[in-house]
Amino acid sequence: MSLTKRFQRSDEPIWWSLFSAGGVCVAMLIPALIVLLVFGPSLGLLSPDTLSYQRISTLLYHPLGLMFIGAVIILPLFHAMHRIHHGLHDLQWAHSALAKWLCYGSALLLSFLALSLWLLGR
Amino acid sequence: MKQPETKPSDMQHLSVAIQRYRPEQDDTPVWQSYQVPYDDSTSVLDALHWIKEHQDSSLTYRWSCRMAICGSCGVMVDGTPKLGCKTFLRDYPQGLKVAALANFPIEKDLVVDMSRFLQHLTTIKPYLIGEPSLVQAGSASAGSDQPSSAALQPQLQSPEQVKRYQQFANCINCGLCYSACPQFGLNPEFLGPAAIALAHRYNLDSRDQGKAERQPALNSKDGVWSCTFVGFCSTVCPKGVDPAAAINQGKIVSTMDGVIQWFSPKQLDATPQEPTS
Amino acid sequence: MSRKPYQPSMPADWWLKHPAYRFYMLREATVLPLLFFIGSLLYGLYCLSQGEASWLVWLSWLQQPWVMALNGLALVASLFHAFTFFRLFPQVMPLRVGSRTLPAGWMIAGQWFGVLLVFLALWWLLGAYHVIN
Ligand code: SF4
Ligand code: FES
Repeated sequence: MSLTKRFQRSDEPIWWSLFSAGGVCVAMLIPALIVLLVFGPSLGLLSPDTLSYQRISTLLYHPLGLMFIGAVIILPLFHAMHRIHHGLHDLQWAHSALAKWLCYGSALLLSFLALSLWLLGR
Repeated sequence: MKQPETKPSDMQHLSVAIQRYRPEQDDTPVWQSYQVPYDDSTSVLDALHWIKEHQDSSLTYRWSCRMAICGSCGVMVDGTPKLGCKTFLRDYPQGLKVAALANFPIEKDLVVDMSRFLQHLTTIKPYLIGEPSLVQAGSASAGSDQPSSAALQPQLQSPEQVKRYQQFANCINCGLCYSACPQFGLNPEFLGPAAIALAHRYNLDSRDQGKAERQPALNSKDGVWSCTFVGFCSTVCPKGVDPAAAINQGKIVSTMDGVIQWFSPKQLDATPQEPTS
Repeated sequence: MSRKPYQPSMPADWWLKHPAYRFYMLREATVLPLLFFIGSLLYGLYCLSQGEASWLVWLSWLQQPWVMALNGLALVASLFHAFTFFRLFPQVMPLRVGSRTLPAGWMIAGQWFGVLLVFLALWWLLGAYHVIN
């Protein structure tokens, strides 16, 4: 039976690569970012003017800011939606092609939104 | 068969619940409890033997070596896949529940049908596939009394080359990892931990040339890509094979394979046809 | 004798039935609070593009108790994710030095050291940029 089976190459390598890259970013960057951005001001890690509009827009709209957006928004989005896609299958809630495209589609859409917002603000 | 030395009546007793399934009378498995005498050296397999001998001769289970080598005594102990001969009652002072290995059809009591697992094993061709020229030289020389020198060349391996795959070669085909794997439970077509670990083992072997034949199955959705790295397979493996590591190293191999395929000039036959029979 | 094998099926709540599965699902669920933090960042990106007034709105929104609580959860989740992710790395990509594999413990420690470095670098960037400018 298995000898007559034709195997089709899965497209998972694409999503898994994005998931893994996102996983590295979430583990390496997100903790520091949350500590500084959310708790930094109240913990006194940052002086009030360090998060001023002037400074942050200069920093973020620098061409390197795009890499930052990729590392803390876009790749983590693909990381999260990959886990949700597989989680839906694990919970036996959905494992249709539609669920898959909704998951990765929303990651793509929100990534596009992030890029547009960045371009818009520049 | 091993018998406790002291009289059973002098020994401590433990309650052992066993999931029974008698196809001629049951439609679903049922639990039955037994009081089993035990000491520090009583294994779950010893307990099954004692029940079969003293309480219920119809109890059905598999075993052979009693020393974690043959891989036939796998059962669920309190929901965790274990080798019966390598698990001891002394570690379950509150009593224990023994059931057939999860994710496999139950044939009778603790005996499961492993044919799905064996089928997946054959799919990945778990044997050395040699260089075609060597094989040809070998078969051409079979008829003549002068074997070709190429066929007689010993295939030398350095200790470093052995080390690359040795860990993945320790599998005893007990199937515990399949019972630990929810992805196999959800999708029995998934090749599963041991088969993929073995595929990886041969792909890492310096004497083997069969990667191209194994890769199509591994590259498919039922190959390495069904795995979500639950990792429980590696926890339960009694031989330290670490199938989860093999599968996830296999994901990198499969990704590279895809990239190479993508950039290679001949794109016509992306999935080589399997030999039909 | 004819066979009548019993076909088991996965119960809907299989992932609650064993500590190993609960751990796995907890790991997978770390993306839920993460999504909230990503949402916060997207909202911040929007506010930044709208000018100074709206940027200040975002900064104070970030300090609201419920937002802080959810992002605090995202912090715990990201640390838990890091804990699981760093442990997998030596399994997926064992680094070989000569004929020996680097001990997993070293690789895990190295990655946590990386987290610390990233924190210091980001702190420096946010705090020290205007000194250079
Ligand atoms: S990999 Fe380990 S658990 Fe799985 S069949 Fe082989 S020995 Fe058993
Ligand atoms: S009886 Fe052989 S492995 Fe347990």
